[in-house]
Amino acid sequence: MAFTMPEGTLEDRLKRYLDGFGSRHGLLESEIVGDAVRVVAAPGDVPAVLATAKEVLGIPHLSFITVVDRVGSFEITYALIDFRGARVNLKTTVEGDEPVIGTATAIYPTANWHEREAYDMFGVAFAGHPDLRRLYMWQDHFDHHPLLKSFEISTRRTFEGLR
Amino acid sequence: MISEERRAEQQSALSEPPTGRLATPDVRDEFGLETIDMNMGPQHPAMHGLLRLILELDGETVVRCDPVMGYLHRCQEKIAENRMYPAVIPLTDRLDYFANMHNEHGYVLAVEDLLDVEIPPRAEYIRVLMCELMRLASHIPSIGFLMLELGAFTPILYAFRERERIQTIFEAVTGARMMFHYIRIGGVKADLPPDIPQKIWDYIEGLESRFKNDFVDLIQGNEIFISRTRGVGKMTPEKAVEMGLTGPPLRCTGVDFDLRRDYPYSIYPELEFDVITDTAGDVEASYRVRIAECLQSIRLIKQCLEKMPEGAVMGDLGRRLRPKEGDGFGRVESPRGEFAVHIVSDGSDTPYRVHYRDPSFCNMQLLQEVIPGHYLPDIMPIMGLVDPVSGGWDK
Repeated sequence: MAFTMPEGTLEDRLKRYLDGFGSRHGLLESEIVGDAVRVVAAPGDVPAVLATAKEVLGIPHLSFITVVDRVGSFEITYALIDFRGARVNLKTTVEGDEPVIGTATAIYPTANWHEREAYDMFGVAFAGHPDLRRLYMWQDHFDHHPLLKSFEISTRRTFEGLR
Repeated sequence: MISEERRAEQQSALSEPPTGRLATPDVRDEFGLETIDMNMGPQHPAMHGLLRLILELDGETVVRCDPVMGYLHRCQEKIAENRMYPAVIPLTDRLDYFANMHNEHGYVLAVEDLLDVEIPPRAEYIRVLMCELMRLASHIPSIGFLMLELGAFTPILYAFRERERIQTIFEAVTGARMMFHYIRIGGVKADLPPDIPQKIWDYIEGLESRFKNDFVDLIQGNEIFISRTRGVGKMTPEKAVEMGLTGPPLRCTGVDFDLRRDYPYSIYPELEFDVITDTAGDVEASYRVRIAECLQSIRLIKQCLEKMPEGAVMGDLGRRLRPKEGDGFGRVESPRGEFAVHIVSDGSDTPYRVHYRDPSFCNMQLLQEVIPGHYLPDIMPIMGLVDPVSGGWDK
C-alpha cells in the first residue's frame, strides 16, 4: 500500500519536524514542548507550512482546526499528528473583524468541514475553499457567528455571586 | 454458509471499479434520462439521529450525496465558555451519547494538561475500566444497528440485552444509566461499590462465552450479510487517511493507528492489548474490526480488575480550579475514533475556549466521498460503517 507510517524514534522525528519547518519558512516561533512541536507562523505562510508538513515531512493527519476569538484578532490552531506519537501545533494570528486566511483543503482534504465549521462559528473566511457554506446554522436569514465573544448568550453565568 | 461459487462470483464483482455501475452520460442522453434529487432524512427511520442527506440519483445509483447537519446543534462550545471548569463535565456527556465516558475522559485530560495534579493510580484504573465497558456498550449496539439496517431484527435484541446489563453496572457505579458525570478533574467521583468488581467479572465471563454464538456465528457467515456488505463502501488506506478518518473506519482499511497505543494516556502503557486492523476496507471489514475490538476490551477489563490497586480515587485539588494560561490538549480513543479536546485558558476559572473534535463529525466526511457510485440501499450499511452519533457530529 502506498501509505507509509513515519519512521524513526519520537525524538528524531520531533527534531526533524522542527528543522524541516525552520529551514523552509520564516517562522515567528518554534519549539519542542514534550511530544509536540509548537510552530507560530504568519497567516500568509500557513498554506505553505501545511504543504511542507504533508508533502515534505510526511505528517498524514490533520486532527482539527481551532479558532479563538481574541477580540480584535483571531488565533487559529492547526493540530496535526503523525500517527506515531508526535504532535505538531501550528498557530497563527489573523487581525481584523473579517479575517481571511488561505485554505488547507488542497493539502489536507479533511479540512473541508473543519473550515466550514470555523466559518460558520466565527466568520473566518478561507480563501480558495471549494464549498464554503455554513455547516450548522441556517443558510439564509442568519447573519450571526455564535462563538464570537460579541455574541452574548441570554442566560446568567452560573455561580455569579461566588467570585 | 456461502458456497464457493458464489464467493468467487462476488470476488470477481469486487474487482470492478464501483463507477462501472453508473450510467454514462451518453446512455442518459440517448434515453432522455435525468438524474433526480431526493431528500433522505432528517426524520428517517433508519438514520442515526437527525441527519439529512441530499441525494442526486441516477436510477437507483447515487451520483452525489450532500449531508446537511445542525438539527441537534446546541453550541456546546459556547455554553462551556460560560461555565466553570468542573461544570462542563456533565455537558460533555451530551456530546456523543454512546461514548459518554470517553467524552468526560478527553475533557478531563485536557484540563489536567494545564494543572499540576497527580491522579491516584486507582482512579486511573477505574477510568480505563469504565471506558472499556463503555466501548463494549457502544460497539455491540453498533453491530446491532448495522444488522437492523440490513433487515435482521435479532442482533439488535441481543445487542441491547448486553447494553442493558452494562448500563446496570454503570448505574450501580455512577448512579446514572447514561449521563454519568463520573470522571472528575483529578480522579473519579466515588470508589467502586465493594461488590461491583466481582459483578463486572461475572458479567464479562458470561459475555465472553455468549459472544461467539450471538455476534459471530449468527452474523459472520450469513449470505445476506455478506452480499450486502462485502465490497460496499470500499476505501483504500490512502483515501481513508486523506479523509481524516480515525477509529474502526480507518483501521478496517489496514492503517495501524490507535491512540491508546500510539499516544498513550492514562494507564494503557501498562496493559496488554492488540490493535485490530483489517485490509478489506469495506463494511464487512469494519464489522470484523468492531467484533475483534470487543474481545480486546474484554481482555483490558480483566486486566484492570486484576491489577487494580487500593487507595484514594481523587487527587489533591485546590478549592478553586484555576488552570494556568495556555493550551490544554486531551485525546482519547473513543469507540468511533479520535476524540480530542482543545482548551484555551486565560487563567480564570472558566475556559476561554473549548473545542471538541468529535470522531463522528470527521468520519462522516466519507459519506460524500464514498456513497457516490453505490446503490441507494447501500447508504445504510455505509452509515453502519461510520456509525455516527447525532450528538457527536452536531455538538
